[in-house]
Amino acid sequence: MPDWGRTTLELMVQELQHPVRLDESFDRRVMVRVRRSYAERRHRGIIGWLGAAASISRRPAWAAALAAGVVAVVSIGLIPHGGTKRLNTAGQAIPVQFVLVAPGAHSVAVVGDFNNWGLGDTALVAENHNGVWSVSAPVHTGVHRYAFLVNGKQWVADPTAPRAAGDDFGQPSSALVVEASTQ
Amino acid sequence: MRMRTTCSLLTILLIGSAFRSTEAQDPRLSNRLDAPTRKALSAIVDSARAQGIPVEPLMEKVYQGLAMGADGSRIVVAVRSLTFEMGNAHRVLGAVATTDELKAAASAVHAGVPAVELGKMKKQSGLRRSLTLPFTVLADIVSRGVPVSAATNAIKSLVGAGAKDKDISDFQRNVSVDIEQGAQPAAAAETRAKGAAPTPKADNREHE
Repeated sequence: MPDWGRTTLELMVQELQHPVRLDESFDRRVMVRVRRSYAERRHRGIIGWLGAAASISRRPAWAAALAAGVVAVVSIGLIPHGGTKRLNTAGQAIPVQFVLVAPGAHSVAVVGDFNNWGLGDTALVAENHNGVWSVSAPVHTGVHRYAFLVNGKQWVADPTAPRAAGDDFGQPSSALVVEASTQ
Repeated sequence: MRMRTTCSLLTILLIGSAFRSTEAQDPRLSNRLDAPTRKALSAIVDSARAQGIPVEPLMEKVYQGLAMGADGSRIVVAVRSLTFEMGNAHRVLGAVATTDELKAAASAVHAGVPAVELGKMKKQSGLRRSLTLPFTVLADIVSRGVPVSAATNAIKSLVGAGAKDKDISDFQRNVSVDIEQGAQPAAAAETRAKGAAPTPKADNREHE
């Protein structure tokens, strides 16, 4: 079995070993059902109650199938996986402010994964506020690599952000992790 | 048999078009990359996709190289290296890892962290916890001079103690400031990790 398969299986087992936590309304919903069922039985009388009980005991296959269904639904609900998370968060854009202090600069732009490293029209052009250059833009959730382009030629990493490992192209860059606002 | 052959051909056709479809959409690729470079990149991207490695980060690396004025051979080397690192990350993190986790893990591997350590962290943290930020911070502090073992232990202890992303982000900021102010990188990471880890008392109160 490949390593990733074993890891996945172990993670699923670990997840299933966690105690099952039901939502707060569960008890209330169960009690509503129990009371309704009790009221119906009382309405039908003792003969009706005995008949209802007998009908369950005579159909164990249905009960087993129902139980299996409940277990499956609960299990699926409890096991999160990367794909679902990606589907839920992909497409969300969170406003991010990029700031660079560069008093002597003539222009500052932000270029990165989020705009396909597009220069020119697609670059985020920062505004100068007495040497503090800033631009805000919606960035999709995820991890992005980016850098400031000063005066159209000098690449500068964001001094306030984590460094992106490896300057593959001889220029520094930074890492940005944008998380969904609900997290 | 015929059905299986048809499916295989269809898969090869779909896989084979990964780089070329992007190329058709973005004139930068055909205008600024020569034919041998495009062919090499296409082969790498197709191979990655066949292995189940997400190709978006590879395309982003191509764009980064183009923006930074790198020549074709350098872009090919960088993309090949990223593919290898993402492949390693994919093997140890498994199918449950998101593309973002793989990207961040590849970055840590690039910085010198053994992929197996990332796999251990994933097992330790469970399915629910995204390790995108911890891996990103791990890559960052290693690139700032924190030895790989010290950096790995620090992040592992934070994740193991249930530190939130905000705690780990604060940890990164503090370590980088300490190093800039002259602290020994390993000492900065070890000391700040102790301070950033949630205390057992606070953790218990949270569960109550």
